[in-house]
Amino acid sequence: MDRRVVITGLGCLSPAGIGAQALADAVRRGASAVRAPTRFDAAACPDRAAGEVPDFDPTAGIRKDQSRYIKKNIKVMARDIQLAVAAANLAVLDCGLPLGDFKAKEPVLPTIDHTRFGIIFGTNFIPTELEDLSVPIQAAREDGRFSLKGWGERGIPEMFPLWLLKFLPNMHACHTSVLWDAQGPNNSLTCSDAGGLLALDECVRILKRGSADWMLAGGAESRVNPITFVRYTLLGRMANVGADPPAGRSPTAGEGPAVAGRPFDLGGTGEVAAEGAACLMIESMDVAEARNARIAGEILGTGSSTTTAGVNACDPDGRAVATAIRAALADAGLEPGDLGVVLAHAAGLAEHDRSEAAGLADALGHAATTIPVISMKGVTGNMGAASGLADLAAALIFLKEGQVPPIVNCDQPDPEVALNLVTGDPQPLARDLILVTTNAIGGQAVAAVVKMNR
Amino acid sequence: MNRRVVITGIGSVTPLGLTLEETWQNLLAGKSGIGPIRTFDASTFPTPFAAQVPDFDLAPYVNEPDAFKDAWRNVRFAMAAARLAFDDSGLAPGDYDPARFGIYLGSGEGVIDFRNLVDSIAHGTGEGGRVDVVRFTELGLKRFSAMKELEQEPNMPANHLACEYGLAGPAYSCLTACAASTQATGEAMNLIRTGRADLMLTGGTHSMIHPLGVTGFNLLTAISTEPKDEPWRASRPFDRDRAGFVLGEGATIMIVEELEHAQARGAKIWAELVGYGTSADAYRMTDIHPEGRGPAAAMQMALDDAGVGPDAIDYVSAHGTGTQENDRVETIAMKVVFGERAPQVPVSSIKSMIGHLIAAAGATELATCVLAIRDQILPPTINLDTPDPECDLDYVPNAARPAKVEVCLSNSFGFGGQNDSLAVRRFLP
Repeated sequence: MDRRVVITGLGCLSPAGIGAQALADAVRRGASAVRAPTRFDAAACPDRAAGEVPDFDPTAGIRKDQSRYIKKNIKVMARDIQLAVAAANLAVLDCGLPLGDFKAKEPVLPTIDHTRFGIIFGTNFIPTELEDLSVPIQAAREDGRFSLKGWGERGIPEMFPLWLLKFLPNMHACHTSVLWDAQGPNNSLTCSDAGGLLALDECVRILKRGSADWMLAGGAESRVNPITFVRYTLLGRMANVGADPPAGRSPTAGEGPAVAGRPFDLGGTGEVAAEGAACLMIESMDVAEARNARIAGEILGTGSSTTTAGVNACDPDGRAVATAIRAALADAGLEPGDLGVVLAHAAGLAEHDRSEAAGLADALGHAATTIPVISMKGVTGNMGAASGLADLAAALIFLKEGQVPPIVNCDQPDPEVALNLVTGDPQPLARDLILVTTNAIGGQAVAAVVKMNR
Repeated sequence: MNRRVVITGIGSVTPLGLTLEETWQNLLAGKSGIGPIRTFDASTFPTPFAAQVPDFDLAPYVNEPDAFKDAWRNVRFAMAAARLAFDDSGLAPGDYDPARFGIYLGSGEGVIDFRNLVDSIAHGTGEGGRVDVVRFTELGLKRFSAMKELEQEPNMPANHLACEYGLAGPAYSCLTACAASTQATGEAMNLIRTGRADLMLTGGTHSMIHPLGVTGFNLLTAISTEPKDEPWRASRPFDRDRAGFVLGEGATIMIVEELEHAQARGAKIWAELVGYGTSADAYRMTDIHPEGRGPAAAMQMALDDAGVGPDAIDYVSAHGTGTQENDRVETIAMKVVFGERAPQVPVSSIKSMIGHLIAAAGATELATCVLAIRDQILPPTINLDTPDPECDLDYVPNAARPAKVEVCLSNSFGFGGQNDSLAVRRFLP
């Protein structure tokens, strides 16, 4: 007898702004939030577009002791971790659980059993900030050149003690657990773009096996930094910004960063590096109903698989995506024809988009011609581990009106994509069931089926 | 659904051996794998020693050796250990449906391209350590290598393994620091129990023995720095004079399988995975809760999941890192869980010999529990010369000891407060 699992809180920080509503509004308006990078000087990068989260306050709305903790530790929390914490705060504040009175020394969430409250974050490798190493590197010089012996003697003493912890991929879940006294299951899934939805999948499995009653499922990553830009440039994944189109492709519809990320579009030349974080509070339905929680949706099924085509490749036939979708539908006890909309990953790198499209077409079968498919990467860029979760959070809002908005920057749909892409005009949402998918190049693929609560 | 999960293949590549049996025999003999760091000049580092895997040629373990030329040690260890695990399991293609064979790895990240990073930062560094990012980027784009950059990402070991073995089932990588491979194994067990998969490749791999890795742990004062001239004495869990852990590296990969699936193919069964517990300290970013509430909760949860009481446990493989704090708190947690019987429950730390394999530690320690069950003998905690009054349990000091071993607990308590515990039992049909 399976516990049913529902979503009761949404938290999201994206280039469209703070909150899931901000992202929902941007998607509805068809407004790209991608600009030229400002968080660092990208003049030497060939592809200068980024999805950047605007200024945010990670202490907004929380208790004094929680604020104090953040202010005390913020210097040793990398950007990704700050985003994660802020998204988790939003999700918890949104879910309606009462905050304990700090002056009365109440627990932070006095109506729950904190040993039954856990956190799983999808995260990624966080590059060091350059200025955390610059002085130590200078100190290590001998005869004008860097020396490893010099590093041991004079470089290490110039580093700040908690340097390693600032960038570890499990610290998002650690800090969040301290802030919210979440003593339950706690994991950090380092699966690149697939991490956020895998976190959702694992949270659902944990709830269903009865190991917890509340779980925060999150994803957080910032790709807007020099090292990641260099990495993705060298890997050939970055969208051209106003450059000549590759041979055989139609020209881009315009110039500039806002149109650089073009999901499923013939003019797509790559991904826009972005940053963001999303977090959903999920709990078992009986627990949510007992406390009269506002329920945003129910997670009916999840599934995952992984690419076997190569560590830097995508399955040409999209088999990993197809397997994940089939597993999610089977888990939900549903057929493809039951779905109302697909939120695809599609970040604008043709090989990647086509692989996912092939997998979707295969798994959806006949339904592929009728079910509307969108990607939101034209609005945000690729937020890495926040992908999928951010999309879901926004979709649970903008789909309430019963319309599926068109894909931003998909003006000339790639004819190899045999899906019902929503371009030009919105399409009606025929059913309340959402399929959301993400997949990492060379890595994991994951799908989730969610019933929206209108 | 009462699906049982058994271990049907183990492969291990550690500082104490390039095979599981070699590692095990060295552990029983009380041998240390700790010595001066070989792979870079660490002579001026606060900690110039570690436990390193002996050199080996990857070619015999993989289909396409060229695919690994930019891969770091974490990937190499994982590929070798996985090949050994598959050989051990007797699994041949055709024995399984690839869509029912997944992977859940405690997957350590690769290595930062230190020299090129240093040079690029130096190229951009001006007054007062300010970095001209444009100059950094200009040199970085010339110096960094695309594939070396990709190989840093933490899901690469799992990606390589999936490609090598065509695994199409549920797929995850986790990196909860020191707890990662215990966590991965526990979640893999649950995926099989709930029918999502029939087989899972699990365990972990890691190497943080590189300039920035050693730097990072030295800065935290988490690793031992002495004695430099006798480094095999530097890992001293539960000893009064312990002063931190010693970095190790390696991989232990296991194949875990649904029981009937294993029996149908006549598989050799090592042991049965019967319980998994997981919790978070939720206390501080660097310190453990002084009452050991998180570790105790994880252990209790594993026992409950296994349907056994604390009296059933014959041996505990400790997290036992050798920091003042961990060992003291772990002792407290043992007392919470085992009550008055705690002093009679043998609990040893192989980290005293093999070092701390970080993401690979949990799986390596679980493997030793499986071997303890097979051979009815407990590995020791070496370097236990001076008892600490606050650590007053039976740590199997200094010499391996024959014992009745039917059910074990294997514990991993990670940096960042994740606590994971696995219960493993002799397989009884």
